[in-house]
Amino acid sequence: MKTILSSETMDIPDGVKIKINARVIEVEGPRGKLSRDFKHLNLDFQLIKDEEGKKKLKIDAWFATRKTSAAIRTALSHVENLITGVTKGYRYKMRFVYAHFPINASITNSNTAIEIRNFLGEKKITAMQFFDRLSVPCFEVCCAKCMDSSVLFQISSVSYDTCYMQVRKVDMLDGVTILRSEKVKDELVLDGNDIELVSRSAALINQKCHVKNKDIRKFLDGIYVSEKGTVVVEE
Amino acid sequence: MPFKRYVEIGRVGLVNYGKEYGRIVVIVDVIDQNRALVDAPDMVRSQMNFKRISLTDIKIDINRVPKKKALIEAMEKADVKNKWEKSSWGRRLIVQKRRAALNDFDRFKLMLAKIKRGGLIRQELAKLKKENTA
Repeated sequence: MKTILSSETMDIPDGVKIKINARVIEVEGPRGKLSRDFKHLNLDFQLIKDEEGKKKLKIDAWFATRKTSAAIRTALSHVENLITGVTKGYRYKMRFVYAHFPINASITNSNTAIEIRNFLGEKKITAMQFFDRLSVPCFEVCCAKCMDSSVLFQISSVSYDTCYMQVRKVDMLDGVTILRSEKVKDELVLDGNDIELVSRSAALINQKCHVKNKDIRKFLDGIYVSEKGTVVVEE
Repeated sequence: MPFKRYVEIGRVGLVNYGKEYGRIVVIVDVIDQNRALVDAPDMVRSQMNFKRISLTDIKIDINRVPKKKALIEAMEKADVKNKWEKSSWGRRLIVQKRRAALNDFDRFKLMLAKIKRGGLIRQELAKLKKENTA
């Protein structure tokens, strides 16, 4: 059944400027500007002034089905996230978890990329060039605990000069910075304004460190999100 | 961007489809999500689908389902007829009706009048152009 009108409103704090034009919302605040486009929703977005003069955002859905009425509150939540992103920012903390092999991470590119080495003791080697034109394809030295290499083929008179270590590299998304926390051991801190980008960057790091072909209940190594908070913390 | 003309009791509308095409009616009650009870001074009160009604800016002050006399009084008080005929929408409809009812002689007279008007406009424009370049 279609509800004739369902609507919800939300307060807009002072210090935040909101512009709405054709379902594209732009929020501007002390930490910067964010914009989000809701053109996939069929809702009316309006900025209204309350009786006491407070600014509010009102979202209407006319003759809405159940799913459309549900979208009203989610759109409001997205706008709320935009507002806190632009006033307080988002800070996601991740911890390295390892049993035996310390995860070695180095932050490059002026805090916008991270390289992960020695995850589960792996040494993945690719592209070894023996002679000028002959390049031998890679073989993997596998294993976490016992360093046994399974050599798949052999070539006489092997001498290699260059051997490149394959490293796990993750680029942060736009506007997200990453740094190694000083006081806490093995912690990463991701900062940014847009919650979608910050949480997705955290997910990318987490996914780069999945354990393969092992019992994951036993091999618990990885980089996990430990805390989701804001940059500016209010007491 | 939000809606300004709402379906409510007392909203004046224009029928845009069907037998009553072009008639001004007042929404007197809402039957369900799609239909309204609609009334006008010279018509029997009947139901009509909202899709057949175009809402106007005019609204009158009545109770739900008033008696015919009360409806006519309210329409006089709000002066619906004059407001409609003075509004740009109403004027446009009147002109369209007149144009549709022209006979050939009227169309001939209209053509002459248009030519004359065009000539006058061009004269004035030429005068202004001369003043500007001079």
